[in-house]
Amino acid sequence: MKPSKFFLLGFREMIPIMSGTLPFAAVMGTVAADAGLSFWRTMSMNMLVYAGAAQLAAVELMTKNAASAVVVLTGLIINLRFLLYSAAMAPTLRQAPRWVQLACAHSLTDQSYAVTSAHQEKTQTNADMLQLYFGASVCMFIFWQLGVMLGYAFGNIAPAELALDYAVPLSFAALVVPTLKNRKYVLVALFSTVLSLCLHGLPYRLGLIATALPSIGLSVWLTRKGQTS
Amino acid sequence: MIDTNYFWLCIALLALGTISIRMSIIAIAGRIRISNRAKEVFTYIPAAILPAFMAPSVFFHPGVVTWAFGKERLFILFGATVLCYFYRSTIATIGFGLAALYLLTRFG
Repeated sequence: MKPSKFFLLGFREMIPIMSGTLPFAAVMGTVAADAGLSFWRTMSMNMLVYAGAAQLAAVELMTKNAASAVVVLTGLIINLRFLLYSAAMAPTLRQAPRWVQLACAHSLTDQSYAVTSAHQEKTQTNADMLQLYFGASVCMFIFWQLGVMLGYAFGNIAPAELALDYAVPLSFAALVVPTLKNRKYVLVALFSTVLSLCLHGLPYRLGLIATALPSIGLSVWLTRKGQTS
Repeated sequence: MIDTNYFWLCIALLALGTISIRMSIIAIAGRIRISNRAKEVFTYIPAAILPAFMAPSVFFHPGVVTWAFGKERLFILFGATVLCYFYRSTIATIGFGLAALYLLTRFG
């Protein structure tokens, strides 16, 4: 596959999102260095797991010598949301070779999926959509690894007064708005907002998946027969 | 210091579990029929999950601008969302939000 205009579109649309991802990756690198992990171990974890929030939780638990089962299960609960993205990408990948499916699965992140879904209406074929997805994913992969390396080497480099952590919710807002095609989508987004605030106190970051599942349930109900938009 | 065997055991299991979750539905996609309704439900996934990412971190953030009741991040996010609705620009949304927060916390 040679880079197409959709690959470049995905790559380009991902760049502004990186203003929030890069500092988050730097935090990951800093936490790994502070936990005494070697650079080799940090980058291996980063390549093999490639899921920031789960890695942060895992390193934090490992420094406290938590049982292996607790470390792994906590990480996997945080990563359960990828099940939804896997389902969403599945129709596009039906005919794809196994190695393309694997590459696509391993590079599934909140950002790469969200950028793809925000721009998927510009694509016509599955091949276009895959190019869009891989463009976004390659950009994400490069910046993520770079951010972790910078954080590992130099500590938390982002100036505190710029509050770059705030770029993360702003990115998600920018990515969700184009997907709200009518009032039903807005209703699901509002439901998810309110429920996530109510479930915020749940341990092990369970609030996220505990919000996502009923929100998907609401979507299933809204798309019932005779209600399709 | 994190023990070597303990580290690799945890990371190997976490990596295996994570790729299994990510690959799960993709792997069986060729063998099952994905109905049009299921495809329509999938288009709701960003609306179902992205607000749950951002809402708690913004709503419960202890702010510093007293006249905004410490909820400056919430008000700016609202403004940024409206801006995004009209202009559909990721860079403008993030740029506006970061600049507004910087100015409000600095001079507000």
